[in-house]
Amino acid sequence: MQDVIPAAARENPASTAGIASHPIHPMLVPFPIACFVGALLTDLAYWKTAEMMWADFSAWLLFAGLVMGIFAAIAGLIDFLGNRFIRALAPAWFHMMGNAVVMILAFFNALVHSRDAWTSVVPAGLVLSALTVLVLLFTGWMGWTMVYRHRVGVSNYARDV
Amino acid sequence: MRGMFDMAARGGVCVAVLAAMLCLTGCSESAPDPKTQIGAKPDLPAQQQYLLPPMHVASVVGWKSGETPTVADGLQIKALVTGLQHPRSLYVLPNGDILVVESKAPGTEPIKRPKDLIMKWVESWATSGGDTGESNRITLLRDADGDGVPELNSVFLDHLNSPFGVALVGNDFYVANTDAIVRYPYNSGDTKITAAGTALTLLPGGPIDHHWTKSLVASEDGALLYVGVGSNSNITENGIEAEKNRAAIWEVDRATGRWRIFASGLRNPNGLSWEPQTHALWAVINERDEIGPNLVPDYLTSVKDGAFYGWPYSYFGQNLDPRVQPQRPDLVATAIVPDYALSSHVAPLGLTFYTGKSLPASYRGGAFVGEHGSWNRPQLNGYKVVFVPFSDGRPNGPAQDVVTGFLSPDEKSRGRPVGLAIDKFGDLLIADDVGNTVWRVSPAGK
Repeated sequence: MQDVIPAAARENPASTAGIASHPIHPMLVPFPIACFVGALLTDLAYWKTAEMMWADFSAWLLFAGLVMGIFAAIAGLIDFLGNRFIRALAPAWFHMMGNAVVMILAFFNALVHSRDAWTSVVPAGLVLSALTVLVLLFTGWMGWTMVYRHRVGVSNYARDV
Repeated sequence: MRGMFDMAARGGVCVAVLAAMLCLTGCSESAPDPKTQIGAKPDLPAQQQYLLPPMHVASVVGWKSGETPTVADGLQIKALVTGLQHPRSLYVLPNGDILVVESKAPGTEPIKRPKDLIMKWVESWATSGGDTGESNRITLLRDADGDGVPELNSVFLDHLNSPFGVALVGNDFYVANTDAIVRYPYNSGDTKITAAGTALTLLPGGPIDHHWTKSLVASEDGALLYVGVGSNSNITENGIEAEKNRAAIWEVDRATGRWRIFASGLRNPNGLSWEPQTHALWAVINERDEIGPNLVPDYLTSVKDGAFYGWPYSYFGQNLDPRVQPQRPDLVATAIVPDYALSSHVAPLGLTFYTGKSLPASYRGGAFVGEHGSWNRPQLNGYKVVFVPFSDGRPNGPAQDVVTGFLSPDEKSRGRPVGLAIDKFGDLLIADDVGNTVWRVSPAGK
């Protein structure tokens, strides 16, 4: 293990995009995560029932996930570019590039979901939804690594508050 | 440095994913000539599934002063009336009075998906001009002397609900609104109907009401009415339940209003007409979109009692549409091939057989078709009136362009043809719902 220096002995990498020193990025990421996971579930429901309501839900979830994902990405990029200590972390690179893949997959998935009826979901839409969630699991793990192991965005004075 | 390497590696993955996606969804092939899709045996290329369907609509410029459509040799064209409000279909009363049905979409289609927002926006480029005043009415034109200037131009019947087809049987005048066939009293020479209508038969209107035009024709003995009821979606994307009793031609008993499905599987049937020699019912059908610029050809067909023409499950016989689940192999097995393809996405909305005598003899007995024009292919198709020659009650030969020039040289829409009729002089009338004009095509030099 490289990072043998006790965390308490150095400054935590600070988040740049914040409100009253609360980082914005983690406030936004639950939206695209919930939307893209939800789209996988509604895709599965459509696959099993051929009930168009589920495919319509998928289309809206992908749309909302993309919109909120763009906001989350902006906040995340500001943090990433705003602090060289964050850029020095390997998990930060995995997190950023992985989530770029998520957004690209979700964008094409939204286009696939704009088809009419069955082929808006089966098979390409469903496969893309599943891939999106798989990549999200990885990028989420990387994000948690940044916070829980490297204290990105965590206040240096937490114990004093 | 390790980070940079990762970034490059990840970027490579992205490109690979993109490439895989594009291949997965199929790329366009070389486009066949639309002419290979006219007639009894159209070329049917492989289906495509789009990431983005081609959306090419001719934006509207309208007719400048003095501009008219272009007609075939031996013909001339003049505007009979301009300044209408979205004229969509035409009907000639026995005394020669011309009824112009001015109509707008009911606007009841909900936003069900993000796509619907975009589609509404694209469609708004193409429908034009007619949004400045009252529509949903019928205007009466009387040009008794045939000089091309109507002596009378007045509102015949107003406050209708997205009307399209009309028919007169004796003293009963029927209007096919989008949600009902309504009967009104009419006496020869009337120029205005003030009586309240009586609903004969309710038709599938809202909710949704995707294809809302209800084409109407009375049987030659006047006992029955035939009405076209278009589908409630492109290809069942509003759910199969929304398609109940739709994509069909209904036969309505004029005395009682009872109805039955006469023929089904007809996605959007319009222009219901009687072929003059065999007295068979014919119609033009708008087929499905978004599986390729050359799929599926719209068509002209005789409509057989009890027949199933494929929609939504298949097209031109047993060509399955993968977008429809669950499939119905039992129905597909019975699907019959329509008589005459008009090529893809031309959007035929008007049909009339030529029974007059004023136009050149080559037109007698054949069919004029009003092609509103395409949106779902890169190269515009339609936007013209074509003539399909008939012999012995069957199409006989390729479709000929009769009235063109609805597109300007830079592919902007001056007008778009919809409904057709033959007036008492034997001239061809064309409703132009973008130019807000009724055109009259007569023999050259008349």
